[in-house]
Amino acid sequence: MKIYVSGLYSGGNPQPGVGIVRSLRQGYPNATLTGVEYSNRVSGIHWQDLDDLWIQRPWDELDLESYGAKVKALLDGGAYWISGSDLEAMWLADLFPDGHRNLLAPPMAAFKRIAKPGVEAHEGLPVAIPTHISTDVSDWDLHAFCRRHNWRVWLKGPYYDAARTPSWDVFEAARAALSKVWSTQKLFLQAHVGGYEESVMLSAYRGELLGAVSMRKRDITPEGKTWAGDVCDVPGDFLDPLRRIVRDLNWTGGGELEMVRDPKGQLWLLEWNPRFPAWVHGATIAGTNLPARLVQEASGILARPERADSEEFTRVVLEVPVRADYPLPPLPEPFAGAIGHSMKHPSGLPALAEQLHKNGRAMMDGEDEAADSGGAPAAVPESFLADLAGVDFEQVQTPEFLFFEKTAEGLFRQASERAHRISTNETQVVNAYSIKTNPDPRLIALARKHGFLAEGISLAEIQAALAVGFRTDECILNGPGKWWPRDMLPDGPLHAVFCDSIADLERTVEAMAAGDLAAHHVGVRIRTPNVTSRFGIPLDSPKTFRKLIDGVKRLPQDSKFGIHFHMASSHIGVAQWWHLFESILKWCRSIETLSGRSIEILDMGGGWFPDDWHDGEEGDFARAVDTVRALLPNVRQIVSEPGKAMAQPSMALAMRVLEIQQHEEDHVEAVVDASIAELPMHFFYPHRMLRRCGETGAWQPLRRGKTHLMGRLCMEHDVVAANVQLPEGTRAGDLIIFCDAGGYDRSMSYVFGRG
Amino acid sequence: MYSAADNRLDLIVDEPQILDRPCPSTRWEQFPYSSIAHHGEACCDVAREWVMSYDFAQLNGADAASGPRWLRQKWKWGPSPWPIHWCEAVERDTLDCGALGCMARELFAERGLQSFPAQFVQQYDEGATSQWFGKWDAEQVSTHWIDEDVIYHEACALVSGDGEVKLFDPSAGWWVNSRQAGGGYGGLLAVRLFDGDGRAWRWGRHTLRGDEWTKIAERP
Repeated sequence: MKIYVSGLYSGGNPQPGVGIVRSLRQGYPNATLTGVEYSNRVSGIHWQDLDDLWIQRPWDELDLESYGAKVKALLDGGAYWISGSDLEAMWLADLFPDGHRNLLAPPMAAFKRIAKPGVEAHEGLPVAIPTHISTDVSDWDLHAFCRRHNWRVWLKGPYYDAARTPSWDVFEAARAALSKVWSTQKLFLQAHVGGYEESVMLSAYRGELLGAVSMRKRDITPEGKTWAGDVCDVPGDFLDPLRRIVRDLNWTGGGELEMVRDPKGQLWLLEWNPRFPAWVHGATIAGTNLPARLVQEASGILARPERADSEEFTRVVLEVPVRADYPLPPLPEPFAGAIGHSMKHPSGLPALAEQLHKNGRAMMDGEDEAADSGGAPAAVPESFLADLAGVDFEQVQTPEFLFFEKTAEGLFRQASERAHRISTNETQVVNAYSIKTNPDPRLIALARKHGFLAEGISLAEIQAALAVGFRTDECILNGPGKWWPRDMLPDGPLHAVFCDSIADLERTVEAMAAGDLAAHHVGVRIRTPNVTSRFGIPLDSPKTFRKLIDGVKRLPQDSKFGIHFHMASSHIGVAQWWHLFESILKWCRSIETLSGRSIEILDMGGGWFPDDWHDGEEGDFARAVDTVRALLPNVRQIVSEPGKAMAQPSMALAMRVLEIQQHEEDHVEAVVDASIAELPMHFFYPHRMLRRCGETGAWQPLRRGKTHLMGRLCMEHDVVAANVQLPEGTRAGDLIIFCDAGGYDRSMSYVFGRG
Repeated sequence: MYSAADNRLDLIVDEPQILDRPCPSTRWEQFPYSSIAHHGEACCDVAREWVMSYDFAQLNGADAASGPRWLRQKWKWGPSPWPIHWCEAVERDTLDCGALGCMARELFAERGLQSFPAQFVQQYDEGATSQWFGKWDAEQVSTHWIDEDVIYHEACALVSGDGEVKLFDPSAGWWVNSRQAGGGYGGLLAVRLFDGDGRAWRWGRHTLRGDEWTKIAERP
């Protein structure tokens, strides 16, 4: 009996070929086992249990048609084939649409039903599927998904590879890299599920389940791959539906369901792999030899009895002799001046993916249609278009920020109405406008008009608020540099002052005692543990906590006491922000109990992404008020700081195309007269973009594409957008609007390259 | 170990190995679990409040049933004197399993979850135990938890379902493996959890009866 086994890569992220061979050798000591590989650099070809090797040229050199004919001849001749690679198994399924009795791999119909990320075939199993989103959607929506899931998300390729993307710039880089490696734009983002990883491995022949085992990872590599595990039977509530599904899929071959068990015990299915896993021999050690069962069922030849040596297995690193007829290939020299050898992965799977895409194989059909069209453009609010309609672009000297008056008015009104709705007789909710997000007097005036307080991080900012008409007792002073510039301290009492450190607290106590400072509320800003921030009084040691309690006890009794906390929800994610909010309330309760000072004002910021704030569930905010009241019954006022949620949508940056440069392979670079000096936040979040049609004057939203918008500066990193599609007919002089630029883009913009 | 409730310290019994009893060493058969004491004053109030609030912050939005791994990050496992009070415990660099087990229990309770004190007997070898003996002895704290090649250890049993528990070892920062096949180095030989009513609890394939020692594996 001759059995061909592929997928022999045995590096840190190994393929299962060597494990399959070891198990087959145990079940069939006299079988002829032939290793199939596409590179002589793959170390598994030297494994001693292999009788023979069939080394092919790398996938990018292979003529798939003639190679397919050879494989068919082998199978027709009675040999068996167990594939250890997902893509090779897919190619074989395509090659044999009706299957082949000796091809021990799943049929194409099964592949389609186990495709990531939805894994349609999972129905009936006691598993959940992690929340996911295709990268077909607009960048605006992808950013929203990341925020919703606290930036604990994975960008995954269609076959292999996953990258953790904790921020937008990392996401953009990972998307570019994965798309290039796997020759497809069709990727997806998946919400992270925390817990212990476990797998179910199965073996089936023509829809009959031959066996399955459960394995929990007990040690892992830095990439999270199995290094050790324990093996046991699959419980009945999993096995019974699995048996039905395998029959329904007419599954042949090995398979692996990769899962995570969360702290509540819920299993989450991450992937269903169409092959045995690399730990396959671990199960054989534990007494279940699934590759041998597969061959036994296909061939009718009895395998040696299974033998359990242990319920647990682990890996070790072994040196083995290199076969004399397959000497090691030379190691390429590092590129001149570069670090590392920059070698391609010896499994060559990206090359096969590229081949399959080029050949338009059946399993790839339609895969890239939506993605290649740039996906859907982000929806642009009507109010943006209404504001743009009022701009006389003949008078606009680009690059220039445009104030979206109608949009801003609407946002401030909406926020004010919501604060009013969720206020109660006992607890007033009031908004505060963070002047640093955009000190434009028009925005400060709108804040005042709609009943906001003004929040400043310096006395200069407080003066800016006073200049627009705010009273001192409508101003909140905050931050580590709040006393700068010293001579700008206003005469009247402030609404609230929050101390940023123990030293600041002591200084404030002294200033108030000396009559140099007056405020209706005085309090502290606290920094909870587990949050990276340089602001506020840290609570990460009992010692500091005790100092804080002592300091609070010393605060003047004639001012009301309050607590402030601020963390940008756009950075840490929405759910995480709400957890932080709850955490803060717990700290507040402790501070109140231990210091004996009632907390009467609670100031909660901020850094909200506009959509999360304005379109967020009102119920969340109303519940928050209820929670505050339940935990801190003395709070009379909750100051809510939306932060950039007010300013960001209120301005846009108008720019003009200076030049369009066509490069090879559809790559386009368009130079614009704006730059990173006007858009310093360009890499933090996507901006919605519009181009005005030269002929009709209509606003056209820009989709995702391959054009880079290059800034006007002679700075290498002045690329304001790296993935847009300019509408056909775009030419020099055309107007482009970067929306969502009214927050820190505006307030942190700087003068550069203007002479 | 010390129990504030019983005011007992160092119950040392010199006895031969008794292989057939669930607890492999008689010196721990009746041994009470450890509790951190409270001075009844602000010093311990502040310390205990800090631990509770710090735990919630460390949860990071994860499920309340997640193990408080931060305990092991904050305090190294090592000798601690008994009795110990909250204000003393938070200031130490090292805490022993009794203090960490007590903290884990209090944290689960604060999160609204039911948990019980859990006592373990674990197998090591004399190389390991002589190291620990030397370290604890040098700090002039009790070494009664070491008996030749086996040790007494404290942890926490979290109720994870109807009649089901999981065992969290805060000194290691991990959930104890219920699939463990046998004894051996680091292996669990016996468990006792204190539920107060002698109920049977499922732990993987084992059944643990409350307030009684249950043999998990034979001493090799």
